[in-house]
Amino acid sequence: MGRFILRRTIYSLITLFILSLTIFTVVRLTGDPVTFLAEPGARAEDLQRIRAEWGLDRPLPVQYLSFVKNVVIGRLGNSFNYEMPVSTLYFQRLPNSLELALAATMISFFIGIPAGIVSAVKVNTPWDSLGKAVALLGLAIPGFWLGLVLILVFSVWLGWLPTSGQGGWRHLIMPAVALGWYFAASLLRLTRSSMLEVLRSEYVKLARLKGLPGYVVIAVHAFKNALIPVLTLAGVNLVVMINAAVIIEVIFAWPGIGRLLYEGIFQRDFPLVQGIVMEAGIMIVLINLLIDFLYAWIDPRVRLIK
Amino acid sequence: MATKTLTRRAVLRTAALATTAIATPFVSRARAAGDPATAGKITVAWHTNIAARWLDPSQHDGSATPDNFINALHDGLIKNYKKELYNHLALADEFDLAEDAKSATFRLRQNIYFHDGSPVTPDDVKWSYENYKGAWADVLHRRTDRIDIQDKRTIRFEFKEPFLDFPRLMGTSNVCGAAWVVPAKYYQQVGKAGFVQKPIGAGPYRLVSQEPGTRLDFEAFDGYYKPVHIKNLTMLSVPEAATRVAMLDRGDADLIYFITGDLLPGVMKDPKIMLAPVVSGNWWVEFPGFENPKSPFHDKRVREAVSLAIDRDAMNQAECAGLGVVDGNWINDDVEYYLPWPKWPHDVAKAKQLMAEAGYPNGFTYDWLTPAPPYYSRGERIIADLQQIGIRGRLQQLERGVYNARRQAGLKAWPGVNIILAGARIGASWANWYESLFRCGSRLGADSVCVADLDDKFAQYTKSENAKDRNQLAHEIQRSILENYYFIPVFRHAFNNGIGTRIKAKTWQDVFPTVTTGYAYPWEEIELKT
Repeated sequence: MGRFILRRTIYSLITLFILSLTIFTVVRLTGDPVTFLAEPGARAEDLQRIRAEWGLDRPLPVQYLSFVKNVVIGRLGNSFNYEMPVSTLYFQRLPNSLELALAATMISFFIGIPAGIVSAVKVNTPWDSLGKAVALLGLAIPGFWLGLVLILVFSVWLGWLPTSGQGGWRHLIMPAVALGWYFAASLLRLTRSSMLEVLRSEYVKLARLKGLPGYVVIAVHAFKNALIPVLTLAGVNLVVMINAAVIIEVIFAWPGIGRLLYEGIFQRDFPLVQGIVMEAGIMIVLINLLIDFLYAWIDPRVRLIK
Repeated sequence: MATKTLTRRAVLRTAALATTAIATPFVSRARAAGDPATAGKITVAWHTNIAARWLDPSQHDGSATPDNFINALHDGLIKNYKKELYNHLALADEFDLAEDAKSATFRLRQNIYFHDGSPVTPDDVKWSYENYKGAWADVLHRRTDRIDIQDKRTIRFEFKEPFLDFPRLMGTSNVCGAAWVVPAKYYQQVGKAGFVQKPIGAGPYRLVSQEPGTRLDFEAFDGYYKPVHIKNLTMLSVPEAATRVAMLDRGDADLIYFITGDLLPGVMKDPKIMLAPVVSGNWWVEFPGFENPKSPFHDKRVREAVSLAIDRDAMNQAECAGLGVVDGNWINDDVEYYLPWPKWPHDVAKAKQLMAEAGYPNGFTYDWLTPAPPYYSRGERIIADLQQIGIRGRLQQLERGVYNARRQAGLKAWPGVNIILAGARIGASWANWYESLFRCGSRLGADSVCVADLDDKFAQYTKSENAKDRNQLAHEIQRSILENYYFIPVFRHAFNNGIGTRIKAKTWQDVFPTVTTGYAYPWEEIELKT
């Protein structure tokens, strides 16, 4: 187990190294941020002053090492645009994104998992077709369109919910539904396929032959085992929702991390983009690492796979 | 008989005195923000992210954006206000530009304060000016010889040479922020980064809290020298236009900026929304490197054909529901020495004839037409218009930063044959347009346009101390640009905003009275219905 943990940890560190190098390079390929920081047509000496002020005049390897060193000690630099530490900005927005992502995850669970189970249990029936239609719509309907329709219906026509912003549970409903809808569809599909696989397994057949009631077979024997990949996906989905709900956050003026990232890209705010991507990357790597450890703990065969 | 000459100095002095006289009743109501009349709350939905630097006048980027914020939080010595383009007395109650334009003197109002309660002093004015780093800082600092504090209220700027444009630069908040006074001690204490997090100004509203990038909460400043009608002002960043319209419709916002063309038909039918079509930036077509004889646009007839092919009314209708203005100059009519010009004709047959005369009976192909982002649909319309006369090319969509960088890089960034559909709104003086966009080596045009004889005339203009000569030169230069089709004006678009039902307004101009901007200041004068 010790060697497994060490191996996985090294893989994770390599992943983070590649990520840091990639994001550092990619943001610099998009152009010179000084065009945003200086007034249009500023003099060469002004541009030079700004470059020096932000450390952009140093050689790229030096800038990269400085970036990595700062990440290691938990400092992600100062945002060009906000003129404040990226980590402060990130953690200011994180609770908002967590709030939205958790609500969307709950919605995706409540819709996706029961519908997936019904679809699998009633396979090739109208219920299954309905489930598949829901999944298809969920994956096909763009989030921005769904968001705007929700605003139109529930805010403008019915006047039930506030249009946008943050300020209480009523503000949360529409962005959470718009965000959770897509993930509900993906959970539905995965739950369905996972359940179908489990329902065809020998031990489920045995449980049925033993005369166990159908709901016991489904709930206790099948669903429990089918849930493992679903929860794995949900975990990754949650991280994606926290860090990349750009469109929903823009439409609902939700002050989350996705919007912060979008603004950072738009303003070519290198430290901000690097910082958010690194934070998200670290989060995903840590969650995957944790899941790997849990798998290895639950199923010792996993440890033997090299 | 002695003749009295109407000098510029006399006009300015009279204007200053008249404004002071008009303002006196209001001044006597200083601290009126504490009156019971100051009540209520409005929410403004802003159309982009809110950049922290917009809260600091010393970082003014020269664009028509920070003025929305600094007019709430800060105040200038003089400023653009309603129909006064630059010379409304604000923190100063007296302003005088010397007859030789080699000095300017401001006298501060009595009992004016920053939001932290400290008085606004000439030292703050001097420090703000000397430490100003934003747009036009180099011009202001280069031409200023020294600044003398004459007494507790009076400050005098002395210039190395006549500086007739000084008041216009100082007083136009969508051009320059040098006259917008920040508390020197506080700024030095907290630094630039600290200041944008907790800015302190002398404007009608003090910042209570901010969520960086997304929300600003202001409260009426009870030490302001004029009444402030609404107690709380919130500015929210709402990037999606449809959401802003829904907010206004439902009453979640009272004022929204920038309603896009596709939403206008619905908004115009909505009884809950008063549309404010503020005629704003100008749009024009230019041809980088047209001076090169190898360029097909080198021939004036081709440029004229382009002008004749553009259906300006259709553009205005499609892009702004007809609420923009199709006029003849590429420079806005709200600036000094603007030259009025009649509407350009739309005549495809004549355009084709000119193309044939120029040796292009079957037209030609150019590389790219690049519109100012994100107005790509406007570029597509120009492409379609030009195709009718055989000028064929493709649309190039650039991200805003890349577009700006290429504009500033000049000709080397525009290889091949290019057309740019540019747009701008620049305040104060026609010269700012020329200086920023047309002059060879200009801030935005770089070397993509170089017309030596006009640049020579412009140099004469900037050196001239005589208003009549300057006016003549300004008009000569503008006329030449238009007659030679160096720039081809398209239209002035409408910056469409929306006003909700809670705001007191008989017409939209009651909320958007300042002619030099698309924003709703002076904020202190907006009222709610009782």
